[in-house]
Amino acid sequence: MTVSQKIISLLTGVIALLSLSACNGIFEDIYDEPLAEENNEYGFIFVDSMTNTGRIYIDATDYTEWHYIDLHGKEVTTKSVEEPSPSNWDFAIHRYDAKTNGGAVAESNATDIMAVPNISTIPEEAYIVDEWTSDQITIDMSQMMDGVIIYAEDYYNPCLSKWLNVDTSTMPPIYTLSGKVYIFRLSDGTYAALRLSNFMNDAAVKGFMTIDYLYPVQL
Amino acid sequence: MIKKFLLILFGILCITNATAQRRISGIVTDMNNEPLPGATVVVKELSTLGAVANVDGHYELRLPDNKDYTLMASFVGYIDVSKKVSDKQEDVLNFQLTENSITLDQVVVTGTRTPKLLKDVPIVTRVISDLDIKRMDATNISDLLQTELPGIEFSYSMNQQTSLNMSGFGGNSVLFLVDGERLAGETLDNVDYSRLNMDNVQRIEIVKGAASSLYGSNAVGGVVNIISRESQEPWSVNVNGRYGAHNEQRYGGSVGFNAGRFNSMTNVQYTSIDAIDLSNGTDNEEVGDYSMIYGNSTLNIKERLIYTPIDNLKFTARTGYFFRERNSSESQKERYRSFTGGLKGNYNITDKDDLEVAYSFDQYDKSDYLVFGDLDVRDYSNVQHILRALYNHTFADKHILTVGGDYMRDYLMSYQFTDGGSYIQHTADAFAQFDWNPHKKFNLIAGLRFDYFSEAKLSHLSPKLGLMYKLGNCSLRGSYAGGFRAPTLKEMYMNFYMGNIFMIYGNPDLKPESSHNLSLSAEYMKGNHNLTVTGFYNIVDNRITTAWNQALGGQVYTNMSRLQVMGVDANASGKYRCGISWRLSYAYTYEHIKKGEPMLSATRPHTATARIAYDKDWNNYGLSVALTGRYLSKLTTDVYTEMTSYEQTEKQTYPGYTIWKLSFAQRVRNGINITLVVDNLFNYRPDYYYSNSPSTTGTTFSVGLSLDIEQMSKK
Repeated sequence: MTVSQKIISLLTGVIALLSLSACNGIFEDIYDEPLAEENNEYGFIFVDSMTNTGRIYIDATDYTEWHYIDLHGKEVTTKSVEEPSPSNWDFAIHRYDAKTNGGAVAESNATDIMAVPNISTIPEEAYIVDEWTSDQITIDMSQMMDGVIIYAEDYYNPCLSKWLNVDTSTMPPIYTLSGKVYIFRLSDGTYAALRLSNFMNDAAVKGFMTIDYLYPVQL
Repeated sequence: MIKKFLLILFGILCITNATAQRRISGIVTDMNNEPLPGATVVVKELSTLGAVANVDGHYELRLPDNKDYTLMASFVGYIDVSKKVSDKQEDVLNFQLTENSITLDQVVVTGTRTPKLLKDVPIVTRVISDLDIKRMDATNISDLLQTELPGIEFSYSMNQQTSLNMSGFGGNSVLFLVDGERLAGETLDNVDYSRLNMDNVQRIEIVKGAASSLYGSNAVGGVVNIISRESQEPWSVNVNGRYGAHNEQRYGGSVGFNAGRFNSMTNVQYTSIDAIDLSNGTDNEEVGDYSMIYGNSTLNIKERLIYTPIDNLKFTARTGYFFRERNSSESQKERYRSFTGGLKGNYNITDKDDLEVAYSFDQYDKSDYLVFGDLDVRDYSNVQHILRALYNHTFADKHILTVGGDYMRDYLMSYQFTDGGSYIQHTADAFAQFDWNPHKKFNLIAGLRFDYFSEAKLSHLSPKLGLMYKLGNCSLRGSYAGGFRAPTLKEMYMNFYMGNIFMIYGNPDLKPESSHNLSLSAEYMKGNHNLTVTGFYNIVDNRITTAWNQALGGQVYTNMSRLQVMGVDANASGKYRCGISWRLSYAYTYEHIKKGEPMLSATRPHTATARIAYDKDWNNYGLSVALTGRYLSKLTTDVYTEMTSYEQTEKQTYPGYTIWKLSFAQRVRNGINITLVVDNLFNYRPDYYYSNSPSTTGTTFSVGLSLDIEQMSKK
């Protein structure tokens, strides 16, 4: 073979090798694999009875659903916005919105569920009860691009809903988690501590809510 | 450089032959009396006789007898000077050459795919030189193109992604190349422009109008080709940094060497900028469609190794890594990566034949980094493998036949496909072009290309015909070219629930976009001045867009009806011995659609750029001062009042604006360069930030320092 033939055959070999070994790309290993959603558990995915803490994971991507959380029975019940609420529930979420079953919520400065402040130090006026709204609970976004958003009339807790701030003054909106622990006084007089840890799933889809809780809080 | 080398070689050969009667010697200098080493002096009447100026600009040659002869001195970048010698004259003859004002000796490749002098290319080509890049201290291509060329506008599309409009054509209709290679990946129809950093760029060539006969799909409205610099010095080391407003930082470095048959260049660049709060300094939080520009950082690493085993064979291996992170929230950062590689062989078989065989690989990934859980999850990957062969044959030393072909395997995995799936498309093409130069004043170029796309089951032919006629100081150019863009895998197979709000569906039955481009241009050159006027007319059929489909209750990719885009580009420039130069460019674009249909244009009709510069080099100091401005006229267009129905439109006006930039680039001693830039000199601030408003909050400053270590080590 002449020099040029040798070089051409070498070049062809290298090209064949490169293209075969990496047809669909290289360095796949630098990425993390998202958990497949169908295998995911929802509800109370972790409960530690020693410390009374746990984690709740909810698929709240659907605009037409409320997810009712029963801290006593450790159960999540999903209902359509038109349906009546279940018989036992303590608080509920719809997308990033939250409401309580006759309770009240105060924002603490704590950012760790294990560092809940002494309940007696929280002044009564810090507790915010639910309010009736007609422009918070979005149930139909399909005409949003035309400037039409359809809301449901419902209760809404403005304090607990501060766990995620969505700044729509800029496009796309900026999402900021408060990271704070919220003190939730249930209607039966017991207390829970709640903290929204995440609002996305592994694939960065928004509306998957991860809530850490402590219940009951020892008085 | 090659030309210079050949001239020197030619000179040396000639000197050895010069063994006769009369000795003529002298000095070749520029207008500042600086010697021009390497300048050639030839005897017009005796084509084999000539000499080359030495380091002091001194030349010497022997004429065979005492007859009258004409001596001509030439040097790359300077205008030739001829002088007569008669027997009565002294034997000393000095030459003073004027710099060629409008670097027409510039070699360009984009318009023909073979190296040609700018003044001899039948296709109008605009060049942004390394001096222009250096003067502006440009980091990215978008900033530079907007400053240098009218008719180019980068704005934001949805999700704060960068979107291009070049004289009526969007990002997917303008083909961006790096040394002739395509880029993988896109976001909302635009390649990642931040990959195209201006580090180690020799020049940028811009060809407006269709060029699919050479480049295939996407070259509907134009081609932008970024040409990298080859290291010439035995070794070179550069470190540079820049600091500017909004905590903008840039650090870079390069190492190059030229040893025997190896030539290598390595570049690293890191940039970062904080988020820009556009409401800063106002009492209004909602200052526009957007009020916060996300902060981001980039890392770009490039390596190129050239090996020349024998004189007529050259191998180029290159590899690159790019990383960009956008801080869109505290919980999530978007990441963009690319891995690039290539191997190319150039073989000059004979003086008349050369062959290029190349393999190129480009992968562009998008991933989301989720702070909660510390996860980096990829949801997009585009991988392109391209094999190419290109052969040139020169007939009678002046006519060039170019034939070539490419094969591409295009793999696309995307979150916008069902279950994050993937598709593969194979494309193949073959093309031929003949560059006919029957007379030095006349040039005709004709080309044809055939493209095939496996998934779209599409075959397409793209023709081209270009003519150039030189008349005195004028060059007249006319061309017809076909352009097309094949439907992409994204456009064919998208199945995406947009923000949990509405669906966007792909359409496998899309027709390709196609265009007919007619262009006529006149160039006038005299001394230090150049004036070029180009008129263009495009017919664009089946442009691909999305439209609401009532039956599906979502958006569907679809072909648009016929659109016409026409306009005029005018460019005037001058350059003087004292160091002053100026350039004024204007573009007018008009888009027309069938009567009764709304004109949803995003193209501003009038745009202009202006530059006045002063460049001067002394022994220990060099200075470049430039004032550049760009003007964009207001745009009034129709917008639909509802996205889900196309019955009603309303007029929307986007205000025009003018922005000026002042830059001072100084060289202190050898190799120390300091650049100061004042951007938005007259403190322009939009009243309302539309997506096509400049994202400026007023006048900003930046300072840059660049050290060429190898030059500092020289005396």
